[in-house]
Amino acid sequence: MTDTDAIEQAREALRQVYDPELGLDIVALGLVYGLSVEDGRLVIETTLTTPGCPVSENLPQQAVEAGSAAVAPFGMTAEVRVVWDPPWTPERMDEHAAGTLGFGRT
Amino acid sequence: MPPAIVPLTFLVAAAIGLVGFGVVLAFAADGLVVDPRGQAAIAAVHLGLLAFLSTAVLGALHQFAPVVGVRPLRSIAVGRVTPFVFFAGAVALPTGFAYGPEWLVPAGGAVAFTGIALAAWNLWQPLSSRGKGTSILGLRMSVSFLVATASFGVVYAFDRHTGWFPLLSNRVLAHAHLGLLGWLGLTYVAVAEKLWPMFLLAHRPQTHAGDWAVRLLATGTALLVPGLLFGVEPLAIAGGIVAIAGLGAHLVSLAGVIRHRRRRLELLHAFVLASSVALVAAVVLGVAAGLADVGSDTRARLAAGEVAALFGWIALAVIGHAHKIVPFISWSALRERGYTNAPGGGPLLFADLFDGRVARATFVAACAAVVLVVTGTLAASSTTVLAAGCAFAAVGVLVLGNLGLGPRRLTRAVATSRALAGSTEAVLDGTSLTEELP
Repeated sequence: MTDTDAIEQAREALRQVYDPELGLDIVALGLVYGLSVEDGRLVIETTLTTPGCPVSENLPQQAVEAGSAAVAPFGMTAEVRVVWDPPWTPERMDEHAAGTLGFGRT
Repeated sequence: MPPAIVPLTFLVAAAIGLVGFGVVLAFAADGLVVDPRGQAAIAAVHLGLLAFLSTAVLGALHQFAPVVGVRPLRSIAVGRVTPFVFFAGAVALPTGFAYGPEWLVPAGGAVAFTGIALAAWNLWQPLSSRGKGTSILGLRMSVSFLVATASFGVVYAFDRHTGWFPLLSNRVLAHAHLGLLGWLGLTYVAVAEKLWPMFLLAHRPQTHAGDWAVRLLATGTALLVPGLLFGVEPLAIAGGIVAIAGLGAHLVSLAGVIRHRRRRLELLHAFVLASSVALVAAVVLGVAAGLADVGSDTRARLAAGEVAALFGWIALAVIGHAHKIVPFISWSALRERGYTNAPGGGPLLFADLFDGRVARATFVAACAAVVLVVTGTLAASSTTVLAAGCAFAAVGVLVLGNLGLGPRRLTRAVATSRALAGSTEAVLDGTSLTEELP
């Protein structure tokens, strides 16, 4: 089991973390900026749709719980770093999320 | 964030206050159209402004201020008590106006003032944060205007028989504008600068319009109110112009948020837009009341119509935002209790905590109520005002049933689905049959 496997497991786990207002998962929304392993720890770099988002406490907490559970079999723990640069834009969403929010791409 | 019980107690009380306001307005309709300054009208207006709007806005601030100020309330225990104290005063004062006994008016006023003092003391810690932007600055000023409005009201309440501060029309208007523009209006204008970008997923290149809105409305109110109070017409006109400029900047800010939004318009946005229409109507009526060459009766109707439209502006905004804020608070509280999934098994979302069809019906009823109360006041039609009262009461019932009982419906549905899943598993592995055997 490699770090790449752990990262993929974590990415799948993060697809179960939903923005409760939009009804879309944080991977589809493009809120997960990066997943990496540092010193045997999974680091989740994530952002929010807007600063001061009402779920600014809940979503990072859910992300770290989901990430920790996913990488536990690899003997790792997880931490979340909330980043604001670059700011989130709708272009980061996947096709399904963009369509759901009314930003369908042609 | 404070415990959910603190803002939710305020918001449930506000919905009950809305029902009460609707009922009282319906019963007061005849008296209200004959004399907009009579006891029945004063009772209905105070019930609407205190038991409904101020209670709801205070609840929202107990949730919002600690998050935006990044500082907790001074005391959660005081936060738990405040809605009961304030709401008791907010009901007692109008009851005293409408039915007596006379001592209930100053007593109710004193209790409501105590609730306001507790809220202001508690909120001041998060609101005193520096460098947190326009919203916190605006809220500091709006809470100061609230204390000033309440102090004004307490003087009236204690002076009803001594008469050293008689209730002249200009003083009533000063009191009304202090509360509607300085307290409720400025709070909404300030809070909107944080909430709108979040709810519309809007990243604006700049926020100058919102900054100007807060500063101009605060300054305009600070000039308009003494101008009305002391009958200094140039000061009142200057204050009115500055306040209108602030409200115009607020609408420009809304247009900017809508232009830069990153999601479809939905129910909340309909509430916000309808609320803005009421604001425009209020400005037109206010200008007409102040400047039009009309008789005193017509001027009084125009002023009453302006107050009704300002009430509609805030009421629609409050009801609309409640459909975002209450599900968010309930969602957080439910997750803490282990409810992470909807009954169908998917993740728990805000949309699972209320019925969208009922919310749309609420929007229609609320818009109808505002149109009816403004037109009924202007036309001196008691039937129309009575219909407005019924519509407001219906809105309160719909909001209580939809938002108040939504989380309870969800927990029951989840419990039922868990029980069904448990019994299905039991049937599949045979244990249920075993349990039923004697």
